[in-house]
Amino acid sequence: MRTVEELIELANTHLGTALAPADAAAELTELAEWDSVHLLRLVALLEHELGRPVPVDAVLQARSLRDIWAVAVGA
Amino acid sequence: MRDRDLVRRSSPGARLRTLHAQGRLATGYPDLRELLADAGPDELDFAGRVLAPLDPDEVLGHHPETPTVRIAVTGRGTVGDVVPALTGQLARHGILARTRVCGAGGYLGDLADPGSPLYTHAPDVTLCVLDPLTVWDKVAAPWQPIEVSVAAERQRKALGELAATHAACAPPGATLVLNTVPLLHRFTHQLTSLAQRAELGGLWRQFNADLLYMARPSDGLAVLDLEPVTSAGARADEPRLGAYADAHCTAQLLTGYAREAAHLIRGLRGQAKKCLVLDLDGTLWDGVLAEDGPEGVTAAGSLRGAAFGAFQHTVKQLAAQGVLLAVCSKNDPQDVARALAEHPEFPLSADDFVTVVADWGSKAEGVHTIAERLGIAPEAVVFADDTPFERETVRAGVPGAAVVPLDSEPALHAERLLADGWFDTPALTDEDRLRPVRYAQRAARERFEAGSADYRAFLDSLDLRVEISPPYEHELARLAQLSLRTNRFNLTGERLSTEQVRQRAAAPGAVVLAVRAADRFGDDGVVGAVFARAGAGRLSVDNLVLSCRVLGRGIEDATVSGLLRAAREAGFTAVHARWSPTRANGALRTLWPQHGFTTIGGPGTATEIRFRHSLRRLGPVPGHLRLRLRLPDERQPAVPRGGR
Repeated sequence: MRTVEELIELANTHLGTALAPADAAAELTELAEWDSVHLLRLVALLEHELGRPVPVDAVLQARSLRDIWAVAVGA
Repeated sequence: MRDRDLVRRSSPGARLRTLHAQGRLATGYPDLRELLADAGPDELDFAGRVLAPLDPDEVLGHHPETPTVRIAVTGRGTVGDVVPALTGQLARHGILARTRVCGAGGYLGDLADPGSPLYTHAPDVTLCVLDPLTVWDKVAAPWQPIEVSVAAERQRKALGELAATHAACAPPGATLVLNTVPLLHRFTHQLTSLAQRAELGGLWRQFNADLLYMARPSDGLAVLDLEPVTSAGARADEPRLGAYADAHCTAQLLTGYAREAAHLIRGLRGQAKKCLVLDLDGTLWDGVLAEDGPEGVTAAGSLRGAAFGAFQHTVKQLAAQGVLLAVCSKNDPQDVARALAEHPEFPLSADDFVTVVADWGSKAEGVHTIAERLGIAPEAVVFADDTPFERETVRAGVPGAAVVPLDSEPALHAERLLADGWFDTPALTDEDRLRPVRYAQRAARERFEAGSADYRAFLDSLDLRVEISPPYEHELARLAQLSLRTNRFNLTGERLSTEQVRQRAAAPGAVVLAVRAADRFGDDGVVGAVFARAGAGRLSVDNLVLSCRVLGRGIEDATVSGLLRAAREAGFTAVHARWSPTRANGALRTLWPQHGFTTIGGPGTATEIRFRHSLRRLGPVPGHLRLRLRLPDERQPAVPRGGR
């Protein structure tokens, strides 16, 4: 997963969201498409996609999709 | 090619995504049952996530008859993640969920406070999800097994009290669902003494056993056993999400929980299937009858044969609990009869099947024929076959029937058959156990009828006896079952749990009656129910239900005529009755008028027509049967205890 756009694509494919690349920097709480229960599922999806564990505490504290992507890929 | 055709030709998963992308999940809701029937875990997860945010009212706007269940979710820790899984599982069974997730972690407050949002939601079903931290959140280190035992017992007692509050505060007939609590390695292995570890294991099983013993699924408290879920491979806890989000259950555990909960909800709604239709070659035995001959097929004696034999034992076990067995096979009927008769080593014999369809026609037609012979709805059938083509034929030709995908591995047949709990029911009644016998009697009756010169003579020769009187305690569950499971002869479609039937019967002025029938072919037991009330000089019939099995024998006419006579003798001045249309009871619209009732209201309301009988002129009770009808005696308790 090289870009945040790929993370957004991953979410849309598996969670049924309709997130756009422009949503990457938005606060998660501001996104109508986002539900907090998605975050727990996203952790598993990310780990499956990356083939390695992600720092769960940091993902849970992330405030935007870009934050999530950054901590997941260790950027 | 139209869009719709394109959608129909693609895979179920792709069709679901298309519906979602086009914003047509609500309009396409009835299709979801079929789309999700064989869905894998990822597809079901996706379905649950896109369906959970869907507004139930939007679905009902397009499809007002969609069966709907109100669900409240509470539990220990963060359990909201169960909602998508549950929504997907219920959609798989055609049920629409109206779900409310209550305060995270606060199940005590949710359940103990009669004014809580949980009770405001008026749930039909409350899921109190007990996660693997249950009890452990009350145990401080350092601890001994005895302290865990005390905390567990305290917890169980608290849950028992919460169940009582739920029974008092939730709507009548609502069910609280608890579950057993998986025991985690990270707790057992904090004890280094193997003796103490064994003690902890024992007392924890005791805690779970005590929870299970509290279950009264017909009376508002169900306990899901999660051990079969975890032993099938679902890990119970997610330590990281547990530590950082108080979400201790893994997605697999919640998925397994949701699957079991959906089956429970289906069972509580009386949607248990009634008949298992089985293929023969590759399903019940090894070999091909048309090629190997009746002597050549095996269900014993070889490794593979024995696996088929084990599957037959599972099927026999279901039959012992009232599941009707039928065969639908593409073979010559005489070959099938010989094969079933000439293998005494097979667990199943010809007598175990209530009917056999053996021909070369379509299996969808075969299933329809079987349903017709048994007098059940085709959607009450579960069809199991190892041939994909036959399964597709039945899926397309018998909408609503369950189709069990078997394959070439007989050792997996039992697991596949039992995966969806199609026959699960809150509690077995005596009627359930006797059902195969009753249907055999019915078949004998029909053969006799075929041999009679005319129907009138046939009825006269039946020596039919009908007894109608207040139910005995042991018959209440059967009355509930009739209200839940009858469709064609159910005047309003109202469904009642055992507890609701008990309350109805005990209410002041209640006239709740059990209809029992017997004839020369055997005792049919309780075949119908009357739910009525006495007041202001009149008898008001809220509902009348009758098993499809006995229709056409004049029992319905005898019940109505007898009730009118008894009402007049008891001094009532009128009998009121009603009919509310459901999907299946259209033929009953004329029942009351046929017996001299006049219409007094509706269909202005569109949902109900009301009728009245002045009791001046009464029709005769059919002459071919003997009727005994007794209304509740005010000097007797409404529900007499003890046997008949």
